[in-house]
Amino acid sequence: MKLPKVLLSAIAVGVAVQATTSCGSKKSDPKPKTEQQGKEPMNCPGCGLG
Amino acid sequence: MNSRPQILAALACNLDADILAAALPLLEAGRVEAIEWSFDALFWAEQVPDWFESLLDAYGSEQRLLGHGVYFSLLSGRWTRAQQQWLAQLRQLAARFSFAHITEHFGFFTGQNFHHGAPLPIPYSASTLRLGCDRLGRLAEACRCPVGLENLAFAYSLEEVKRHGEFLDQLVAPVNGFIILDLHNLYCQLHNFSVDYDDLIRLYPLDRVREIHISGGSWEASALEPTRKIRRDTHDEAVPDEVFGLLARTMPRCPNLKYVVLEQLGNALQTEASRRQFGRDFGRLEALVQQHQPAPGRPERLFLPQWPQQPGAVAEDLRLHEQQQQLSQILETSRSYEEARQRLHASALAHTDWELERWAPPMLETALSIAQKWKK
Repeated sequence: MKLPKVLLSAIAVGVAVQATTSCGSKKSDPKPKTEQQGKEPMNCPGCGLG
Repeated sequence: MNSRPQILAALACNLDADILAAALPLLEAGRVEAIEWSFDALFWAEQVPDWFESLLDAYGSEQRLLGHGVYFSLLSGRWTRAQQQWLAQLRQLAARFSFAHITEHFGFFTGQNFHHGAPLPIPYSASTLRLGCDRLGRLAEACRCPVGLENLAFAYSLEEVKRHGEFLDQLVAPVNGFIILDLHNLYCQLHNFSVDYDDLIRLYPLDRVREIHISGGSWEASALEPTRKIRRDTHDEAVPDEVFGLLARTMPRCPNLKYVVLEQLGNALQTEASRRQFGRDFGRLEALVQQHQPAPGRPERLFLPQWPQQPGAVAEDLRLHEQQQQLSQILETSRSYEEARQRLHASALAHTDWELERWAPPMLETALSIAQKWKK
């Protein structure tokens, strides 16, 4: 499915600037990724909880 | 004439920088025909970026946005405030976004707190069927679009594996629902219980399969049986060749298939090499979808939702709740398989519908790993 160029550009910018993590607070993300990759991954598991 | 393909190649696409970075070249090339969004992973977010909402709207406006819940815990014995809130938030999201359908996972969550835990199976009994049907009816009423359930990767026994498809069928029938057939989950069961594909697939209600998932996973050694490896549904690796093989064999058997979705966790997509592999996996999925498009004019089964017009009291099973609490506690805190086994045999689950006397030891060992991986 074709998406508008303006939307694709916005996603590209958003991905570049938004260090988003889906399973934690956006406000409190003090630890670098390597410290958090124990029991809780940076990104939301969605499925894949097996 | 509408040239829209009847089966769409789709991606699981959440507000996750790594997934979106991997997906972006495919989105730019116009190759992603639908997206699946795990909407309940975002309940924490105070504000979703405008560009992500625009992405959801773009697919929603074409009836190509699939909502995939993770944390409802459909089969918990007790109805919780968290489930009530989950439904309220789903109702709001369904009013805001145009979902083609909403799906959830089979099972109950081990964790005491929302978002902490992992889904595990429950006994296939009249009581759990009543619970599941009641909750699916509430889910359908909240979202007012087709509703489906995904098969679970994990099972304790071969008997449970064989009955899973039939029980899913019974759960979704009252809401005129459908099944997500996750082929990596099926692959886990084929391997972990040494079952033949043809013997197992015929036990699933394939006319209810509207969506197929493929993904990767991982192997875990069994301390109990050192020569054996257990397959787990961790979504952190590329899709195995065997799962593409299952996709090729299964698509022709599903007359109402509409979406085939590639899933991978964002934290497994942080290197250029993993993102290129993700693109190659999507290319293989895309080719198989093109190869297996049905002849034009196939009538579409809509799975229009049904729900009770006058819902009664929320179904609960407090005995099941107590058993689930004990099971979660044992799985999350036992330091060894033997400790877990002894505690289970002295628990409220012994000699009940849970049939823990028939659980395969390496699968109890795996349940410990899963529960302790995701507990908070």
